[in-house]
Amino acid sequence: MERHASDKADITLRVPAEGAYVSVLRTMTAGLAARLDFTVDDIEDLRIAIGEACALVLPEALAGGDLVADFRQTPGSLTISVRVKTSGRAQPDYESFAWQVLSTLAAQATAETADHHLEITFTTDSSLALSEQGPGAGG
Amino acid sequence: MTVDGDSGPLEAVRRVDGAREQNAVLFGEFHDPSLAEAARIAARDGLVSLHLPLVEHCARRFRNRGEPFEDLVQVGTIGLIKAIDRFEPARAVEFSTYATPTIIGEIKRHFRDKGWAIRVPRRLQELRMQIGTTTAELTQTLGRSPTPRELAETLGCSVEEIVEGIESSNAYSTLSLDATDDGGEDGGFSMLEMMGLDDEELEQIEIRESIKPLLEALPPREKRILLLRFFKNKTQSEIAAEIGVSQMHVSRLLSKTLDRLRTSMQESV
Repeated sequence: MERHASDKADITLRVPAEGAYVSVLRTMTAGLAARLDFTVDDIEDLRIAIGEACALVLPEALAGGDLVADFRQTPGSLTISVRVKTSGRAQPDYESFAWQVLSTLAAQATAETADHHLEITFTTDSSLALSEQGPGAGG
Repeated sequence: MTVDGDSGPLEAVRRVDGAREQNAVLFGEFHDPSLAEAARIAARDGLVSLHLPLVEHCARRFRNRGEPFEDLVQVGTIGLIKAIDRFEPARAVEFSTYATPTIIGEIKRHFRDKGWAIRVPRRLQELRMQIGTTTAELTQTLGRSPTPRELAETLGCSVEEIVEGIESSNAYSTLSLDATDDGGEDGGFSMLEMMGLDDEELEQIEIRESIKPLLEALPPREKRILLLRFFKNKTQSEIAAEIGVSQMHVSRLLSKTLDRLRTSMQESV
């Protein structure tokens, strides 16, 4: 499968790591997804997914730190990473409601933990692109 | 009212005639001063149930605008009752002709008064309404939920405006903490009920997790005694018989082990 030129962080948004800014990310996500021809239902799912991803990383964030979101756009899909600086090594709670919701809504969701940093990445596909591709297509 | 086997247009006409007749009779009773109060109230009730389908018909026109259908029927019924009280049969106007504007007026007033939980500019209110109906239509024709671009093309506005409109619909109804999810069979749970309380077991987790390595470090015999006593709920004598030592010895070993665990726990905290 050929790598697309857009396989880099297309957009990065840095906001304070506080719950109040999650709505900014949500709006941003909805706007991007609309541009990428996601359906209205997909967009609602995405809005929820990013909220849950933030809910997973924010409790681990250092006070006064930043919440950084990367949005990678590829045709028909959107990959979003949210990361925060943490004290020490933080694990997301895989048993949590938030993780269950996120992994259900996203095509793929992963968590990456390293020293002093926790990142959650998830990919959502546009159901429009999926239906046009058909079940047999793909690489 | 005659009801026979054939269900052609003739029967429908008869049914309408029957309802019309019933309507006239009930209004006659309702306005008859010689009748007792109770009988007139009964006639009024009869009129309300007779014309309830009219309310439902009016309410149906306002479906998919974010208000529950049942609520619309309810406020519409208030309009119907007002119409019944004010209607003058002598005017030779059909009651339904007279009542419809009253019912619709009442439903519209409900939208005006209750409507938006957070004040949103009129432009967005209208857009939201259009997005709502167009989404329903497009979902029907496309067989999937439409994209904002498709909505924008259909409505003749920009994708930005659509996104803005969708955003604003979140302000239409703020979610009540007591709102139930009506999916459940026994009425569902309210948000408030769904919100967690601090689980007392949570505190136990910390203790359990910190005790784990300590348990692992115990000599096998001590560990076994502990397991038998606290996990299998055996008495000290049963344990004594099982490992082949005296009950006194089990007791000593247990208290020694527990002491050791307690002190290591306190050190680690």
